[in-house]
Amino acid sequence: MTSAKGRSVKMTATPFTRALGFLALAAVAVMALLGLVVSPPDVVQGEAVRMLYLHVPAIWIAYGSFAVTSVSSLLFLRRGKRREDKGRHYDRLGGAAAEVGVLFTGVTLITGMLWGKVTWGTYWQWDARLTTTVLLFVTYLGYLALRRLPADPVVRGRRAAIMALISFINVPIVHYSVDWWRTLHQKASLSVGRRPEITGEMYWTLLYSAVAVTFVAVWLVTHRYRVIRLEEIRDEEMLTALISQRVSQDLPPVSDGDFDE
Amino acid sequence: MDLTPREEVESPEDVRRRIHRKRRWAILALSVLLVVVVAFVTAQGLRNATLFFRNVDEAVAQRSELQERRFRIQGRVIPSTVRNESGITVFEIVHNCAVAEIRHSGDPPELFESPWIPVVLEGKWSEGTVQTLAGSDSHYFFSDRMLVKHTNEYASANEERISEALPDGFLEECAFDDLASQS
Repeated sequence: MTSAKGRSVKMTATPFTRALGFLALAAVAVMALLGLVVSPPDVVQGEAVRMLYLHVPAIWIAYGSFAVTSVSSLLFLRRGKRREDKGRHYDRLGGAAAEVGVLFTGVTLITGMLWGKVTWGTYWQWDARLTTTVLLFVTYLGYLALRRLPADPVVRGRRAAIMALISFINVPIVHYSVDWWRTLHQKASLSVGRRPEITGEMYWTLLYSAVAVTFVAVWLVTHRYRVIRLEEIRDEEMLTALISQRVSQDLPPVSDGDFDE
Repeated sequence: MDLTPREEVESPEDVRRRIHRKRRWAILALSVLLVVVVAFVTAQGLRNATLFFRNVDEAVAQRSELQERRFRIQGRVIPSTVRNESGITVFEIVHNCAVAEIRHSGDPPELFESPWIPVVLEGKWSEGTVQTLAGSDSHYFFSDRMLVKHTNEYASANEERISEALPDGFLEECAFDDLASQS
């Protein structure tokens, strides 16, 4: 695409991501219809139960995103050196997935607090589930901060990858905290090998919501991956332009003093 | 000062490797230290979180240790025992066949009215003879904070939920039969 000034403008969208975006939007609209209108109120919680359809899929997506970050980080560390681009695409994917993971952990925390106020009678309690979830949020925020620190991209990517792998230790702790310790938070809504304790319409609405939110997450990760790549291209182009400017003006090489101010 | 040239001069590559090796150890040591610190802080934080509440039977058994200490107690509210005495909500909770009388000051959460709802109460044991469904007791629990601990069961408001009565086997082995008849 070309802008009004004639400069080349790089976009993050492709026909595939546009289609995915529309699919995600439609899926969320149906999710809202099912969650807010079609599914019945709960016998104990009443209308407050509708928070389930966003709260639970949000943390599932967060777990999934952090898993993608961990696998990408591992591949970056193991295979990065062999590849021409030093495995930077693994690093980008890890970063993009972590951003989406942090976003959905935030959604989980906010919806959980609102739900807690209605059901428990309080926004927050430092029980094991809530404490470990907030720790998860903070550690991955730290990971994202580490990715923004100025350093050689490969070195920075390696540091971030190690932090991503360390941070992932908390994911199973968050998930099993309700089984390992006594918590105010209820046990997992759905578990492998256990009969679901959710009746028909609510069960299917929950599963459908998980699929709809997955579309949104995949769409977001794809765009964020491309934005990260565009940022890298911008930095590379800027550096090349600066070097050629220096060369054309026959200026002396860059010294430390040039960055004093 | 000895200005004689050294016989063996370290090549720049060797110097780079030596520094790199030292730096690698330093980073590794720092990482281990960071993990230990995070683990320690987490363990400290979770120590409180993991003892989030005591079930009624444990709180009764540990009464002499707990004395005047504040703690959280958990049990299911026995529907027929709920009453209001001069602004104080009085009711009994049960867990593992142990019953405690609760005197709660403050407004209970909305879901408190659901039958057999599990609740977590914050407060302390107080001396005073009370009559519970399990018999006479020398203490009651005075609470000023109530949290409703809802379960992971969800059912349509139009359906009859099994747990609305009582979970299966909940009171089967209890010596008192009055409770079962009230479910």
